[in-house]
Amino acid sequence: MKNRKPIRNSLLIIPALLMLLFGACKHDDLEIAKPNENFRLAADFIKNNYDLTLFSAAVEKSGMAETLRGKGPFTLLAPSNTAFNEIGISKASDFDKMNPDSLKALVRCHILNQQLLFSQVPVNGVDIRYRTLAETQVYATLASYAPNNSAYPANNLYFNGSSVTRKDVTIANGIIHVLNKVMKVTPNSTVRDWLAKRPQYSIFVSGLKKFGFWERLSGAGPFTVFAPQNSVFEAQNITEASIAALDPATHSGERLFGSYILHNKHFFISDYNVFYIINNESAYNGQLDNDSWYFIISTERNFFTAAVTYSAHLQTALDYPYDTYPAAGSTTPALTDNLTDNGLVHDMQGLLLLPEQALKH
Amino acid sequence: MLRPRLRYIMLSAIALVLLASGCSKVDYKKIDSPAYLRVFNNLNYTISLANKDEPVPFLTMLIDPQTDKDGIPVSAAIKGDFLDQRDPYAPPYPSHAGTSTSYKNPEYPGKENVLVGPVLNGFDLSSWAQIPSGRHRVLFLFRPVNNTPFFDLEPRLKHNILIDTTLTLDTKEVYTLHILQKDFATKKNGIYLRKENFHKLPLSDSMVYVNFYNMSAKGFQQADNSLKTGYKKSGALQNGIKDNMNIFYTLFKNEPSAIAPLPGYTQKFLGTITRNSEVLEVTQYYSFPLFADGASDGIHTTIWQHLDFLQPGMDPANNPYYPFESNTDGNWAPVECLLNGKTAIKGHDNSALLPNMIVNIPSGIYNPRSFATVNTIEIVNGNIYLTTVQRKYAPPIY
Repeated sequence: MKNRKPIRNSLLIIPALLMLLFGACKHDDLEIAKPNENFRLAADFIKNNYDLTLFSAAVEKSGMAETLRGKGPFTLLAPSNTAFNEIGISKASDFDKMNPDSLKALVRCHILNQQLLFSQVPVNGVDIRYRTLAETQVYATLASYAPNNSAYPANNLYFNGSSVTRKDVTIANGIIHVLNKVMKVTPNSTVRDWLAKRPQYSIFVSGLKKFGFWERLSGAGPFTVFAPQNSVFEAQNITEASIAALDPATHSGERLFGSYILHNKHFFISDYNVFYIINNESAYNGQLDNDSWYFIISTERNFFTAAVTYSAHLQTALDYPYDTYPAAGSTTPALTDNLTDNGLVHDMQGLLLLPEQALKH
Repeated sequence: MLRPRLRYIMLSAIALVLLASGCSKVDYKKIDSPAYLRVFNNLNYTISLANKDEPVPFLTMLIDPQTDKDGIPVSAAIKGDFLDQRDPYAPPYPSHAGTSTSYKNPEYPGKENVLVGPVLNGFDLSSWAQIPSGRHRVLFLFRPVNNTPFFDLEPRLKHNILIDTTLTLDTKEVYTLHILQKDFATKKNGIYLRKENFHKLPLSDSMVYVNFYNMSAKGFQQADNSLKTGYKKSGALQNGIKDNMNIFYTLFKNEPSAIAPLPGYTQKFLGTITRNSEVLEVTQYYSFPLFADGASDGIHTTIWQHLDFLQPGMDPANNPYYPFESNTDGNWAPVECLLNGKTAIKGHDNSALLPNMIVNIPSGIYNPRSFATVNTIEIVNGNIYLTTVQRKYAPPIY
């Protein structure tokens, strides 16, 4: 009992000691992790990215910059500067030469009105359609992996045949995927309109007219057309005059010009590469319309640039014995995958067949 | 004294509350006068460059659907969603119901949690769903390959109709419904409803029964081989078989070896198979004895079956093709029914593989014990499928 009092007295000291203890704490300003400032709005992000300066310039010129500072979410399918260089645009002022409306349509075609992560594209999905700000549809195709081989994925993603070289770049109001090729969409037009508007294909067009394919190209299709430019024909001494002189009775139009058209097919060049992965199809063999010959096409994807190039040739039969004709293809991916409402046009840097090889026997 | 009593009262009150909240009324589902239905998606094409624009064969089945003013289904009495291409083997009981982690359903009812058929005349119908008998509107739609339930999809994805038809199902009858490609050239699709009769036949316990259907699309076998590239693993069957074929069978003694064919069961004529994807009739059941091997103990047998589909006029003895040839012009297609259908026999390179028709499983005091089954083998284009139905057997005693 005697020593209880001193303890009770010392109990009074405890709150005082506690107050001293807390008083000793230093109250600096608390550092709270701020949201990452690098996740900027779409318009600002591409402006500050050295590889997307041309796309940024196009966005500014078309007046879409303010939209892209909006809430979104957007998915930007942003072609890199190299992609613009390949279609002849090397500096921002080159956009001034373009029609402002078509520039606006071009930019809007590259923006989706939703957030589309890589993981949201269906596995091995072919031609999954997404809506763009231009009210057009973009075809997404993802070659994930070979059948029963999901342990070794390829994961090659394409939009309208353009390879995605950098995927899932997160920004404040959406996602950016970087493309290595500008998507070329011509809404409200046909394959025929597209060819008719371009004088560099006039010899090819004259051949299509001569052998009766021209009218069909405005139909429902879809068509996949491989079009050689005039320079390719001229290198073989073929001109509009020499085509006019050809006689459909002696020359097979199906082989000479029909072979450049795949009926009821719409193929991006990348499709041949995608099916090589997802369905083990190393090449596509299509029989010519009203003919026994075959059109055979295969592709190659560059490991470093992800650019897809093709090579096509004619063959008299699929199984041996057969004759093959020299291959033609395109080493400039920028000139392929021109999308219209009833099909696609791909530039071809070579001829499948010469007139003297298409003689009827 | 008051305090412990109070505590006691409080505790019992809590116990009562817990007890009462644990109760719930269980509504047992019951379908009066049901028909039994099993559905298979036989659209076995693969999407390739040649048919890139064809819809992926991934389906939703709606029975008696309600549609809104735009004709888009909003609800249905019965829904079979995520209906994938069927598996090569349709087992006698819904084995994937509990073990599979995929949302894809290889058949209906398959993994669906629905009322299934009873044991009817000794046959286990747990792979058949109960459906109210009578007339039904049946709708099959193509759907995207993802795990979103059909009615939660965007409206634009909900009107890709494969077929819209009405079916009449009779009470206590067993049906299998097949979604088929009817014409290979036009890619026309359709359905095929078969009223099964195995539960009405006087089938013996000691015989293994099998019947055959060739439900291939019209013109598949005749089409050029370059147009049918998706069936590589079916061996010589990949390009289809001719419309009329003879069937020969051989029983081999030991799984998985083809060294010892059973005397008396070697290259025997079994029956015929005719292509038919229109007329809905059950074909004849053929049989062979479960204990064909005289040396077996009458409990367990290791025999397995080899089938040869041969063009009339040809015989296994004068077969001009080699077992490494996969291009036999539709004249010859060999099939092995061996183990679980994954094991190939060396030297039989062009055989299609199916599981053994005999079910070997622990039962009673025996492990394993062999049971005879009733089987259906269906050939659809370049693929072959085995459906096994079995009788009820005694559970194992350990």
